[in-house]
Amino acid sequence: MKNVKKWLGLLMCSVLAVVCVVGLSACGGSGDSGSGDSGTEGAGSGKKVAMILDGPVNDGGWGASCYDAMVQAAKDHGWETAYTENIAQADWTTTMQDYVDQGYDLIIAPGNQYTASVEDCAKANPDAKFCIFNDQVDDYDNIECTMPDTVQIGQIAGIMAGLTSKTNNIGFIGAMELDTTLNKIKGYTDAAQKINPEIKVTTAYSNSFSDAAKGKELATTMINSNNVDVMFGDASIVDTGAREALKDAGAGHYDIGQPGDITDTDPELILVSVVTDNVKMTNQVMDDVESGSFGKKTIKGDLSNGGVYAGAVSDKIVDADTKAKFEEYVDQLKNGTF
Amino acid sequence: MDVFLGSMPDVLATTIRMTVPLLFVALGELFSERAGLVNIGLDGLMTIGAFTGFVVGYQTGNLWLGVLCGAVAGIAVNLIYAFCTVSLRVDQTVTGMAINILAPGIATFAYKVIFGDGSTLVQGTTMDKLAIPGLSAIPFVGDILFNQTLLAYLAYIAVPLCWFYFARTRGGLNFRSVGENPQAAETLGIDAIKTKYLASIVCGALAGIGGAFLTLCYTSTYATGVVAGRGFIALAAVIFGRWSSVGILGATLLFGFFDAVQIALQVSAPTVPYQFFAMIPYVFTIVALFFFNAQKGGPKANGKPYFREER
Repeated sequence: MKNVKKWLGLLMCSVLAVVCVVGLSACGGSGDSGSGDSGTEGAGSGKKVAMILDGPVNDGGWGASCYDAMVQAAKDHGWETAYTENIAQADWTTTMQDYVDQGYDLIIAPGNQYTASVEDCAKANPDAKFCIFNDQVDDYDNIECTMPDTVQIGQIAGIMAGLTSKTNNIGFIGAMELDTTLNKIKGYTDAAQKINPEIKVTTAYSNSFSDAAKGKELATTMINSNNVDVMFGDASIVDTGAREALKDAGAGHYDIGQPGDITDTDPELILVSVVTDNVKMTNQVMDDVESGSFGKKTIKGDLSNGGVYAGAVSDKIVDADTKAKFEEYVDQLKNGTF
Repeated sequence: MDVFLGSMPDVLATTIRMTVPLLFVALGELFSERAGLVNIGLDGLMTIGAFTGFVVGYQTGNLWLGVLCGAVAGIAVNLIYAFCTVSLRVDQTVTGMAINILAPGIATFAYKVIFGDGSTLVQGTTMDKLAIPGLSAIPFVGDILFNQTLLAYLAYIAVPLCWFYFARTRGGLNFRSVGENPQAAETLGIDAIKTKYLASIVCGALAGIGGAFLTLCYTSTYATGVVAGRGFIALAAVIFGRWSSVGILGATLLFGFFDAVQIALQVSAPTVPYQFFAMIPYVFTIVALFFFNAQKGGPKANGKPYFREER
């Protein structure tokens, strides 16, 4: 038995080694299953950009939007892309260091939870360039941030919720009490109440970006206990669960999508999408890398420069009158007269 | 308090739903531990079940086939655990942990292979609810208890069946004896190794189904992290439930209840910081494990490797 064990161990090790080698040469980059490279066509500039994510790229929310932005912007610039997903907090710095060592020209950390790790890595590698989405860090030569106006995102959703709620109860599900989430709640509440002073906002947190079942339960409870009929969320996959609860609750229950334009995925449920145009901001960051003006700044995104905008309004559930009003209010928001 | 009482039907309905995946997995773990195998890889088994169930359900449109394949996938992964711990006698904790790391890795990798390297979230369908005629019309409790998916009923029906098997049949007695004293069991002609493998197959199947419930009945999508630590809660429920199926039902219902209360309180008492409510199920877990000490009541040979030729 002991011998069998030994040989088996040896066999398994060699199989693993072969798999790793094959896997590595097949992906031409990092070896673990949660990462992938996708080259872009054409000769391009030969530059490379990488993204690290603590969740999956296909989360139907923030992660997906950031990843798409990187891929799109890289395509526009002729850069190559790579990403590693589902990274535990302890491994953020090591993963970024790996990309630095592989000679990547830009490393994107899409969220302010990575800021401390990025700063550490940026200090250790003054020649590498880092980009943080959703934060403002202005004192490093090799860090550039993008910052969508999260209050405005909330306000756009709030305008729509205020215009369409029949029960005067609207809901919001966040994942965690992040600054950006709090800003969205504030904008959402203020805007909705400005349009309809009767509006009451119910907020809850799922404590997770991935527990769809909890999102569904939170939304169901909001609908049943507080008579909520319009919801907005900031919790990626959890939002998917919330949408299912709204759908189960039947007609008259609607959702507002973000951060991509997802209205078309279910135009009988999603009133409008509040889009954060990460592509635009990422393009600008890449421009800065190419022109040498990178670092020590934050690229803001709001209605005025198109970094944040209201996406498609569903014609199936929003009548023309409401749509016109919505567009008028959003214009006011853009001009600062709201 | 009035608000809270008013939301009581919601809380109970949520409890019943939240309990189902925990119950499946905890019953699986009951079989495993009754044969002396502490399997902490439940979270991994659920993940593979959730993933396989979703993919098969999505591709074929047959959700029951999805449930079946989720169970098969759970068995397949758990056989790795069984082979390592029973045949090779590797430490059970280490192997269980390895399963917890391996299974989500396989799932993520396979997801990329099947759905491509994109960022769209694939949405399937969920199983229809099945209201039991007559019973579901009972005021207050009818809609809460008797308007569930068929899979949810099966979870609750499995509880008395498990109880009957372990407490009232010769097979169940033989099974339990393997967890208590495998040497003695073998001298009486019970094949301990075979029983342990059987236990792993049942555990893998139930954990796989528990995972598949999340992606086929609860929500209609799979993404990394959907299991959200439920496997570990189920593990605690087995200890808290004193290794009996009825006890486990009580334990999982309580865990489900506190999760539901947490949700209801967040919605009805927005002034209290949500972290306080989110903490409730976990504080409860620790308190439960503290008072229901694991030393007594568990199978005697639980967690110990069995050497057939050792004297």
